[in-house]
Amino acid sequence: MPASTTRDYPDEPGTSHLDNHHPEILVSGLKRSFGKVEAVRGIDLELHSGELFAFLGPNGAGKTTTINMLTGLLRPDSGRICYQGEPFVATAYEVRRRIGVVPQHNNLDRELTAAENLRVHGRLFGLGGPALQQRIESCLELAGLSEKRDTPAGKLSGGMKRKLVIVRALLHEPAILFLDEPTAGLDPHSRRKIWAFLRRINQEQHCTLFLTTHYIEEAEQLAERVCFIDQGRIIASGSPDELMKRTGSYVLDIYNDEDVDNEFFNDRATAMARLEQIDRTVRIRKTTLEDVFLQLTGKRIDP
Amino acid sequence: MLYGARGIYLRETLILRRKLFKTLLASAVSPALFLLAFGFGVGRGAMVGGQDYLSFLIPGLLTMASMNQSYAIATEINISRFYFKVFEEYLLAPFGRWQIVLGEMFYGITRGLIPVAIIALYSLFCGVSLHFSPAFFLALLLHLAIFSLLGILAAMIVRSHADQATVNAFLITPMMFLSGTFFPVEKMPLAIKAVASIFPLTYSTRLIRSTLLQQDNGNGLLYLLLVVMVIILFGLTKRIIERVEV
Repeated sequence: MPASTTRDYPDEPGTSHLDNHHPEILVSGLKRSFGKVEAVRGIDLELHSGELFAFLGPNGAGKTTTINMLTGLLRPDSGRICYQGEPFVATAYEVRRRIGVVPQHNNLDRELTAAENLRVHGRLFGLGGPALQQRIESCLELAGLSEKRDTPAGKLSGGMKRKLVIVRALLHEPAILFLDEPTAGLDPHSRRKIWAFLRRINQEQHCTLFLTTHYIEEAEQLAERVCFIDQGRIIASGSPDELMKRTGSYVLDIYNDEDVDNEFFNDRATAMARLEQIDRTVRIRKTTLEDVFLQLTGKRIDP
Repeated sequence: MLYGARGIYLRETLILRRKLFKTLLASAVSPALFLLAFGFGVGRGAMVGGQDYLSFLIPGLLTMASMNQSYAIATEINISRFYFKVFEEYLLAPFGRWQIVLGEMFYGITRGLIPVAIIALYSLFCGVSLHFSPAFFLALLLHLAIFSLLGILAAMIVRSHADQATVNAFLITPMMFLSGTFFPVEKMPLAIKAVASIFPLTYSTRLIRSTLLQQDNGNGLLYLLLVVMVIILFGLTKRIIERVEV
């Protein structure tokens, strides 16, 4: 990330030098319970610089709890989180500067303009002066919101608000951007625009993206690596292609009276041969991540 | 330096500017009604401790109204924490959480100054002479710091907006009526006196009234007491906010 912005934080303890020899994020044995509910039951993760990583699972699987622990909004009951080898503790302010967070809700100040929302964020991260102004303008431009700079955030459309929240998280030039359900609640058109926007951020700003989603298509479209989470545990991980190949690249949907059975095949020819043997309604198609999850857990991600 | 506290103060004051008219109105109406009901109604022609009732009442109203405004940050923090979730921005930012306390405290102090200006105007209309000396501003600063800190503390302890209303009903409303705003605490029954003695407003009202009317009711000790309260409340709020999660 370019380090062009002046910062004002000489008074903070806990700063240290981070290096490039460690994984961007290394997580081991992460656990968190709420009362008797074990939301996260021991998660191990490793993320490398520049990756576009998706945490995929149904609602209530532990995705948000994990992201909240990784960003310091929740304390883990046990386990260890390191950013570039540096343990993530409450006073690790240098680590916090490497993190940008896009929460599930558009937590903007509705009365403040788009530019003012960015200005406040910049000041909270120790930015100021002409450099902050320059960052605000370039973030508004990145989001295509330059013309809306003086519009109160509450009057922006859903897609615009989402983009504003995303560029707000990028304002202090973080190395890692966490996005919790970045397109939840958006219409399909806005969703696709956000996907293109995120790809641009990953490629042009060289920002590591860690997103949680329960949308299969989102993970398939965006992620280089996907981690399936269910009931607080990681149940599989790999690239979407790897995961689908592990299950079988082709699937036959065999329609019964009340249900649909699936049979998986590594190649299309074998699948076609099997299709010809079946005397019921059958459909051949490519395997999706939803099929992989269904195979692993016996249930659908987005029922 | 202190970029976190300054950033929080900036955010809060930008929002305050957007709703300044409403805040001014809220700060003006309630003291005006109390002034009419108690000053010109119940207390007309009455004397308290050798002075007319209006001279006794207006400093009390100033203290109470400024307390209400600085404590009102509790509701704002509550809404930003549980409803709009903007408070998460503070929790994610790279500074010690004591800076959240500091930034919000100064915002509470700023808000508390609004009714002071309004009631100063009322005093001119009522012909009551008040002395706005440095001793008064020091007392006011300590008073507003205490109630801002109490507001932050309440907002951190409660788990919902409804809980906030409960705290207000059981803490702020009794404090308004039992801390010497409308009647001298000394004239109240023993049980009420005992309750009043635990309310910080009792002491700040006494000190602010003394400074505005140029009296000395053991002011040195009262300043010391308010300073101790600020230190204890700041420490306690810092401790609690450090444990806050989403």
